[in-house]
Amino acid sequence: MSYEVTIEPTGDVIEVEEGQTILDAALRQGVWLPFACGHGTCATCKCQLLDGDVELGNASPFALMDIERDEGKILACCAIPESDLVIEADIDVDPDFAGFPIKDYTATVTEVRDLSPTIKGVYFDLDGSMEFQAGQYINLNIPGVDGVRAFSIANKPSSGEVLELHVRLVPGGAGTSYIHETLKPGDSLKVSGPYGQFFTRKSDSKDVIFIAGGSGLSSPQSMILELIEEGDSRQIYLFQGARNAGELYNREIFETLEQEHSNFHYIPALNAPEQADDWQGFTGFVHEAAKSYFDGRFDGHKAYLCGPPPMIDAAITTLMQGRLFERDIHMERFLTAADGAEEQGRSALFKKI
Amino acid sequence: MSAKKLNLKEKYQLLTRDLDWDYSYEDRQQAFPFEEFEGIKITDWSKWEDPFRLTMDSYWKYQAEKEKKLYAIFDAFSQNNGHLNISDPRYVNALKIFLTAVSPLEYGAYQGYAHVGRQFSGVGARVACQMQSIDELRHIQTQIHAMSHYNKFFDGLQDFRQMHDRVWYLSVPKSFFNDARAAGPFEFLVAISFSFEYVLTNLLFVPFMSGAAHNGDMATVTFGFSAQSDEARHMTLGLEIIKFLLEQHEDNVPIVQKWIDKWFWRGTRLLSVVSMMMDYMLPNKVMSWKEAWEMYFEEAGGSLFKDLARYGIRMPKYSDIIEKEKEHLSHQVWWTFYNYGHAAGFHTWIPSDQELDWLSEKYPDTFDKYYRPRWELAKKMEAEGKRFYTKALPQLCNTCQVPMLFTEMDDPTQLSFRESVYKGDRYHFCSDGCKDIFDDEPEKFVQSWLPVHQILQGNCGGPELDKILGEFYGFNVGADNMDIKGSPDEKRWKEWKGVA
Repeated sequence: MSYEVTIEPTGDVIEVEEGQTILDAALRQGVWLPFACGHGTCATCKCQLLDGDVELGNASPFALMDIERDEGKILACCAIPESDLVIEADIDVDPDFAGFPIKDYTATVTEVRDLSPTIKGVYFDLDGSMEFQAGQYINLNIPGVDGVRAFSIANKPSSGEVLELHVRLVPGGAGTSYIHETLKPGDSLKVSGPYGQFFTRKSDSKDVIFIAGGSGLSSPQSMILELIEEGDSRQIYLFQGARNAGELYNREIFETLEQEHSNFHYIPALNAPEQADDWQGFTGFVHEAAKSYFDGRFDGHKAYLCGPPPMIDAAITTLMQGRLFERDIHMERFLTAADGAEEQGRSALFKKI
Repeated sequence: MSAKKLNLKEKYQLLTRDLDWDYSYEDRQQAFPFEEFEGIKITDWSKWEDPFRLTMDSYWKYQAEKEKKLYAIFDAFSQNNGHLNISDPRYVNALKIFLTAVSPLEYGAYQGYAHVGRQFSGVGARVACQMQSIDELRHIQTQIHAMSHYNKFFDGLQDFRQMHDRVWYLSVPKSFFNDARAAGPFEFLVAISFSFEYVLTNLLFVPFMSGAAHNGDMATVTFGFSAQSDEARHMTLGLEIIKFLLEQHEDNVPIVQKWIDKWFWRGTRLLSVVSMMMDYMLPNKVMSWKEAWEMYFEEAGGSLFKDLARYGIRMPKYSDIIEKEKEHLSHQVWWTFYNYGHAAGFHTWIPSDQELDWLSEKYPDTFDKYYRPRWELAKKMEAEGKRFYTKALPQLCNTCQVPMLFTEMDDPTQLSFRESVYKGDRYHFCSDGCKDIFDDEPEKFVQSWLPVHQILQGNCGGPELDKILGEFYGFNVGADNMDIKGSPDEKRWKEWKGVA
């Protein structure tokens, strides 16, 4: 049994297991809430309950006083949901967040194409046009699979009536196995979206760096196609990481864009090129490519990172050591069942990292 | 999504930052003269992210509510003779140390934050410091009130202010805070808000507050919860200052690293008193110092420094030594106080056999080998009527002011001595950490008011120990000091409890 907790003002939705605290569930699901002590004495994680019932847990009577309890205040680090909830936390809504409504769609497969030996491109027609921001994701209901699977949208927002997803085969993964082995044109699936806080910060005029690894190219592809379509004149850099040339998919799209647009720069990096690849480009990890290209200095840019957790982690360190900080780094971690290991203890130093 | 309304951050900004003004006829730099002299470079104060968003009117509302609740519990504790419910009269000696060593630091913090709250040209930092300053004033007041009940029934709590100013071992916490307050405004925040409030505070609060809970002291437990509800603001200020400094300019990174090195080392020296309290002074134990250190510093601090590494900050210097010290600290410190029990403002004792066994279990690698034999000897000597007190005055470290009691960590039978010569004079230190701190700022630390030097120079009430203790320190000699065994505290406790 689990409950759904909606966190305003961002509208993020998390699943909280029976007996789990709201804070624990939020942090595990990548939703940041302010916190410090973690055990009910400091009140950093105080939230307003807007709807639903909670057990207040071991909140100290000084951290959560009677007058506050009467007002419906709760401490996220102690509070355990007893129904679906809506809470309001002391977090900021990004001014660039459009807050498009989340809706349900029926998606009909039009094509399943090999993009690389491990990644398939899946193309759908939607039964309605979805409004979304480039970078956001959808939840897909896959037949025979419990729960939903999240995939970033690879098409640009101006073609909201279709849906393009890049799906990497996760060994032993039920959802991705189905998509790779069983899904075929004409099949219909239930989709909901758009979700997520990963989107282009257009109000910021700084030049942008995209760092993508594996099937994490999907969001940057959508974001870049949109920026170019809108005639945005800022410098745009795409660093795409892959193991070898076979895994470096959609390369032609970006090589063509680079030829047509002087403000777009495409820097692919292979960390284990094959002999047959005859690779002339950067050899090494994608964060090393970025470091080498910018000579280790990134200040004055916005960075968007999308891919597997180790790549994101390495990229953040590289960017921060090059003087680009949390407020200018946006990321989408592609977690799979293989990354299921418990996150190590984290400090409260960073909000999103 | 509904239409955008002002969120807390925007409301708070309107109520704080917009209260700042431009300087039309005065030079802004001259208005904030301390902001640049430490070498810190601030390029854009607008990047300061307010660590908390509490307006003054809700601040008063919340704090008044906390006080109401707290004082109701103090009253109940007092009316019910709450002191009779503590585990053992030995416990009160931990409170005596708290009141004379820690509570005055709250007052120092109040003054320190009021001072630096004036020194930042960024209004967000000014407001955060001023609010913390008021919190700290509340903390000392509530601590005094929480412990005033014990002062009616136990010795050694009668004049914490004079003791804090003058007593030899209390110069350790006092000089720690004076060092921070005499530093520039940014170093003060790195020292107190970050190193102490954010990273080390759990090692102070958990022993005292959990210790109070385990030993039946509800007044102190309640005060602890009340104070901790303010700590959120203090801890988040510590995090914000460190991020802000590291992000503002890369030239700040080595300066911040140096301060982290200094203040973590100083912090571990200061906490050595807490280590002995946890392992030796609490009749009902919470956990060993070693366990507390592993949980609150090595685990929590480890993940923090892993994150800080992204800024180019490494673990504090001498972390390797600090890691080894957890096995030895409490034993070396309590043994020293046992030796100087006649000159302490609280009681000392030999651990009971049960407690010795607990220490053996908690410190399997060091206690039986190095420390238990000493206690067995002390026990034997006491039984023979030969309880000894060390008569000679100890040599003090010129930086941390702790007596030279710490050993080399790779050879716990060898005391650790370091020295530096500055302008022809030789200065002595307990460790490489303390020597480095002196060598970096010798002009500051040659001014240290070292209690033993002061006694020898005749500045502490004359040459007789009784006069120093009685008149200069303000002890009731014969009541406040010496062993708990045979003390008036013990005698009264037995009367209250009706035991012979």
